[in-house]
Amino acid sequence: MTVLTDELRQRIVAEFPKYPTKRAVTLPALHLVHESLRAVSPAAMAEIAQLLELHPAEVADTMSFYGFFRDDSNPLGRRRVWVCRSLSCMLRGGEDLLVELSERLHCRPGSTSADGRCSLEFAECLGGCDGAPCVLIDDELYLNASADEIVRLVEGAPAAEGSLS
Amino acid sequence: MTTQVPSTATLNGQEVALPEGESLNAIQLALRAGVEIPHYCWHPALSVVASCRMCLVEAGQIGQGGVLAMQPKLVPACQTPVKPGTVIVTNSEKVKAAQNQVLEFLLLNHPLDCPVCDQAGECKLQDFSFRYGRGYSRLKEPKVQKPDKDYIGDQITLFTDRCVMCTRCVRFTREISGTGELQVIQRGSHAEIDIFPGEPCDNKLAGNVVDICPVGALCSKDFLYKQRVWWLESKESVCPNCSTGCSIHVDQNENVVYRLKPRHNPQSQGHFMCDEGRFGFKYQGSPNRLKHPLVRGENGSQAPAIWDHALRSVRNGLQQIATSRPASLLGILSPWMTVEEAYLLASYLKSLSPEIRLALGPLRVEGEDDRYPKDVHGRAVEPTKFTIRAEKAPNVRGVEAVLRHFEGGVIPAEQLLPAVGTGEIEAVYFAGGDPDFADDADFAATLATAKFLIVQDILASPVSEAADYVLPGGTFMEKDGTFINHAGLAQAIRRAVRGPEEARPDGRILWELSGRTGLFHAANLRKEIAANVPELAALAVGDLGAFGVRTSIQLEGADDDRRSAAEVAAGVS
Amino acid sequence: MNENFHTVLLKRVEQHANPGLEAYRADGGYTGLRVALQLSPADVIEKVKQSGLRGRGGAGFPTGMKWSFLPKDHPGPIYLAVNADESEPGTFNNRVLMEKDPHQLLEGIAIACRAIGAKTAYIYLRYEYGRSYRTLQRAIDECYAAGILGPRVLDTEQSLDIRLHRGAGAYICGEETGLIESLEGKRAWPRIKPPFPAVEGLFRKPTIVNNVETIACVTHIFARGPEWFRSMGVAPDPSNPRDLGSYGPKLYGVSGHVERQGLFELPLGVTSRELIDRCGGIWKGRNVKAVIPGGLSTGFLTADEMDVPLDFSGPVKAGCLGLGTAGLIVIDDQTNIVDVLFNSSRFYAHESCGQCTPCREGTRWMEKILERFRNGEGTERDIDLLIEVSETMGIIPGTTICGLADGAAWPVKSALKKFRGDFVEYVRSGRRAPASRLALAH
Repeated sequence: MTVLTDELRQRIVAEFPKYPTKRAVTLPALHLVHESLRAVSPAAMAEIAQLLELHPAEVADTMSFYGFFRDDSNPLGRRRVWVCRSLSCMLRGGEDLLVELSERLHCRPGSTSADGRCSLEFAECLGGCDGAPCVLIDDELYLNASADEIVRLVEGAPAAEGSLS
Repeated sequence: MTTQVPSTATLNGQEVALPEGESLNAIQLALRAGVEIPHYCWHPALSVVASCRMCLVEAGQIGQGGVLAMQPKLVPACQTPVKPGTVIVTNSEKVKAAQNQVLEFLLLNHPLDCPVCDQAGECKLQDFSFRYGRGYSRLKEPKVQKPDKDYIGDQITLFTDRCVMCTRCVRFTREISGTGELQVIQRGSHAEIDIFPGEPCDNKLAGNVVDICPVGALCSKDFLYKQRVWWLESKESVCPNCSTGCSIHVDQNENVVYRLKPRHNPQSQGHFMCDEGRFGFKYQGSPNRLKHPLVRGENGSQAPAIWDHALRSVRNGLQQIATSRPASLLGILSPWMTVEEAYLLASYLKSLSPEIRLALGPLRVEGEDDRYPKDVHGRAVEPTKFTIRAEKAPNVRGVEAVLRHFEGGVIPAEQLLPAVGTGEIEAVYFAGGDPDFADDADFAATLATAKFLIVQDILASPVSEAADYVLPGGTFMEKDGTFINHAGLAQAIRRAVRGPEEARPDGRILWELSGRTGLFHAANLRKEIAANVPELAALAVGDLGAFGVRTSIQLEGADDDRRSAAEVAAGVS
Repeated sequence: MNENFHTVLLKRVEQHANPGLEAYRADGGYTGLRVALQLSPADVIEKVKQSGLRGRGGAGFPTGMKWSFLPKDHPGPIYLAVNADESEPGTFNNRVLMEKDPHQLLEGIAIACRAIGAKTAYIYLRYEYGRSYRTLQRAIDECYAAGILGPRVLDTEQSLDIRLHRGAGAYICGEETGLIESLEGKRAWPRIKPPFPAVEGLFRKPTIVNNVETIACVTHIFARGPEWFRSMGVAPDPSNPRDLGSYGPKLYGVSGHVERQGLFELPLGVTSRELIDRCGGIWKGRNVKAVIPGGLSTGFLTADEMDVPLDFSGPVKAGCLGLGTAGLIVIDDQTNIVDVLFNSSRFYAHESCGQCTPCREGTRWMEKILERFRNGEGTERDIDLLIEVSETMGIIPGTTICGLADGAAWPVKSALKKFRGDFVEYVRSGRRAPASRLALAH
């Protein structure tokens, strides 16, 4: 029983020619799996390790270093909302925005809403300071973000399959 | 004016000669000059990461024209190679301030649970804080607490918040064992050592990560809470479990051995030892130990006897056979015997009659040599950094040399066993020492059929039960002597504890059996051996020192020889 | 001031030009590459040296000199790694360049690879820049189709592949050896130096790491000539033989308490005052209290230092760490510096890689001390403790492998030198930060 689908495996293997070592495909592989499965479970890490000819602990070591990946104890919702809390955004209300979104989206930073619709995160500088405060939804950046706009964008997303509500 | 670069380096204003053909970093240079540069992450067998920042020093270089240029910033001594003209300062106010500050940082979130910490007494946090640190912390907030991890391995537990993140253990599993079980998880102040779920650190070299942990984070479950280290008395010895012959410390208190630890020896194995050897000494305290000389009485059962009586009877029996039918007497010399013991027994038996035959006792060979590091598929990769040898005996080469001298060659005992079965060989003097030789049931059963059987061994076995005389000997921890490893390196083992009850060091048994006067003394006997056995002439030094002495012993394969030379050059095995 | 300056790097961005290859070529794109391909690699490096270009990523190291550190006659492979992990708070110019004018970057990469003999370039792109990723990937695909990338670059013997590599949210990947480790698939723990990347870098091969804006400048140095580049900026201070000058155009990002945040291209040496004016002044009619000149780590300029030229040496003379990324963060006079510093310390504690003891422990400790101030529990003795902790961290005292700890410590040192009163005020007034913000402290 494997966690990674054949298609995912093929997409990982397709990254190999881009690098002189298989190990360099660690981050691309983690991204592919994370995006598809909304988490990277230990079983998935072990399968990535096997593909890349690494020890599972080497994949887990790398993965845990980056704040980006979640394991299966805390999978992502349908949308992932990052609210910047670094200085430029803080000076223009970023922290208040995070508090407000936390209340209106019914999830604390680092968690996922009960309906599986969205995961909320705080972010360090998102590089959108020209439009502080800024918010990243998945990998699309929203400048001069308002809570209303973000809530509207998130609520436009369908609830996740198999969610609690 | 030409160059004025001196040929030496300078440490704290003193000139220090540089060894030829060796590249040293500043820590190593200082060590040779008797100066300690405190460090955590640097280990001579591992890659340099320079991350603990404990070894910061001031460094400079005298260039052409004799001009000294000091680097403006502090530098890690571990990452500073020493060349002619290098100047290192370890005792300036700037260096002391940095040491003091790094220690405060390291102790900020450390639990300071020294009273219940196994490492207390041999802890680099304690030692360096005492010498270079401050007596108090300025942190007012609660310390970060991280959960302990009992599941690192069968033998290893992690006290997470004692860890200083030196990553020696992680580098060990990636660079030396190659088994890669350990990892760092998270980052920054959240970083911790861990394993991958369900893949514990149980490789055959795993115990070393406890040794190289400079603090009380990784602990040995076997040793945990058994003994305060300051009560331990340590003896230099050699692990008997395979023919690599790892140099070790035997740590005991009040006649109980608590642990074996590897002892660095560039001539034998390097810095480490395997877990088979590390935890393989427990038979020393086994209830199955032979504790009294036993003599088979007229009623057919064995009964305890006093040593004098037993030895006299053995001597008489041997002399009788040697006179009447010497060719039917076989002496079996275990490769677990020391050189001295083998020499004493061989020379004694041959003195009774040159027709008495001598053979090499059972040698367990398990699989093939197990080389490290491994790659991710478990295959050994070059260069080899550690080898667990298939030959499970400490002194094959030494006993072989003795046999070649007295018997003219090495005959495996197994070859002569059929003659025991047929009755051609009537009498056997079996000198054992291998705690597991009886695993070969056929060998033991055939041996037990000898009409006249003398067994000198450490554990009760079918063979000892069949014996007419049982002479209880000592384990390697209970005696002095010499083991010669696979590469011909002669190293001393030293008595650390007494054997149980009446058991005696084998050297003393054989000394008295052969009617020698005075006391057994390994160093003196080595000189005698050296004078009589040309292959062992190197033993003439008597004291083999901490690292041992290389003999000109005949080695089996040239390949083995070459590899050994390369390994010695690399300082590892 | 600078009325006659015409933007170059941002020209097509400001024109809302089509980011596609055809439009880029119609605007004269890839002529610089043609020039470079006709020169020997040594001559390409020489031209970059002549231009006086210094790295735009923060350290200001001369680009041509960096390139010339590569070993001579190396059999290869040699790599170019483009640092597009822009993460320094207050910095966003790389994002704009990549999203709006990707070919300007790709052309510079091709020229740089010609100079250093690289056949593969990796763009290490922070994951959060999704739009940049898609724009760049499209542009790269166009280049392959047009024969600009691939086995024969513009029908020459030169081959070149450009690979996009996405990060995963770690500031330290902007440090060049952290970036290299990350690209190799490991945790981004910066390497000890030497060896420097030019000798042993990515996959243990000689590697040049350059910032996006630096590479974009290279494009124009070849389209317009090094003399053009050198014609603007600030000449070296004749009294300082180590000053290499600050030439060329520079992107200045301005964010924080200004009326209109934005990105400006101006010759090096512009002042904070001019930039704030271009942003319509301080917001809400307030006054400036401080400006962080070049990304969070550089420290503070006070209201009295608004005329410090923002070139490679100006901010240093005013006690800042450097020009940094020229991402200005403007702070108004209603803000207490303790709150700013808490934000900064929290950032560095979160982003410390954890390798070196002083940084791992010191960044978190500074955050805790500042949190104490914000909880109304700070004392004046804590101010001295903060100074002491900040002074024992970083590659400047030599206590860490990379510069992150300096970046964490510098704002603290700078603030305590210039705004000590804010700390005293916090302590004496018993002031506390609002509760809802405290709940999100970590």
